[in-house]
Amino acid sequence: MPSHQTRSPDARWLLWLALAVPSLWLLWRAGQPDADPDALANLSGQVAGVLLVAAIGLTGVARVHPALARLVRVRRAFGLAAFGTSAVHLLLYLRAMGALKPVLAELDAPGIWTGWAALLLLVPLALTSTDAAMRRLGRGWKRLQRLAWPAVGLALAHTYIVHDGQTLAMAMAAVLLLLQITRFNRGRTMT
Amino acid sequence: MTLKYSLIALAPLALALAGPAAATGKMTCKVAASDVKPQAELVTALTKQGWTVTKAKPDGGCYEVYGTTPEGDRVEAYFDPVTFEKLYVSQRGKVLFQKQ
Repeated sequence: MPSHQTRSPDARWLLWLALAVPSLWLLWRAGQPDADPDALANLSGQVAGVLLVAAIGLTGVARVHPALARLVRVRRAFGLAAFGTSAVHLLLYLRAMGALKPVLAELDAPGIWTGWAALLLLVPLALTSTDAAMRRLGRGWKRLQRLAWPAVGLALAHTYIVHDGQTLAMAMAAVLLLLQITRFNRGRTMT
Repeated sequence: MTLKYSLIALAPLALALAGPAAATGKMTCKVAASDVKPQAELVTALTKQGWTVTKAKPDGGCYEVYGTTPEGDRVEAYFDPVTFEKLYVSQRGKVLFQKQ
């Protein structure tokens, strides 16, 4: 993979760090005495959603023009950032709930189980995000990673239903749908 | 030209992030401002009934309350600001109660 050699390690670390900033900030903010747990749980979900849409949308953006094709290389970083931020989102949600009982009481609410399901689908994707897993799984890797689509579908449904997220959910769906136009791009630069 | 597509694609996201998060339009209460009772009174009354109120604010002319019901459900609820009548209770988007 020449991509790893041509890209300076410093730039990669910088990207990983930049993508970790929102999560680190959210965790730090949650530790402050004046923190609003509900608002932080909400915000972390929105950030996670945007990162997930970015990770999936990058494939489409990279198809737009050969000059953008290199963007596929940062897809893994965005995907893992989406997973990490989703985990932080779960943590902040549990903290906002404060106890197990109300968490279990709302497990069957459509706005909630969709979120759990989306996060669960992201687990195998994150676990198989290494080069080694990619080699080991061969062609199956790609099939497995297509789980990102049902995951984003569930995440968008979760965003839409759970609390005043209609606008953001519709906007993210629109972004993904519009990027599908690039599938018909004749100058396709990636598989 | 195809670059245009990606810019068009990102526009709705930018709009959503920039958009106001004010009145949700879930409930509206049309009452005279002079009849409205203080929000603190509602919170006290609910607490007496066994609610745990985490946040309360005016929304659409009603009082919107976030908290846990006596039954242990985490909800968002709307109350009439004059009579304190319960109008709407939603658990993560699942409507538990709606005044007919």
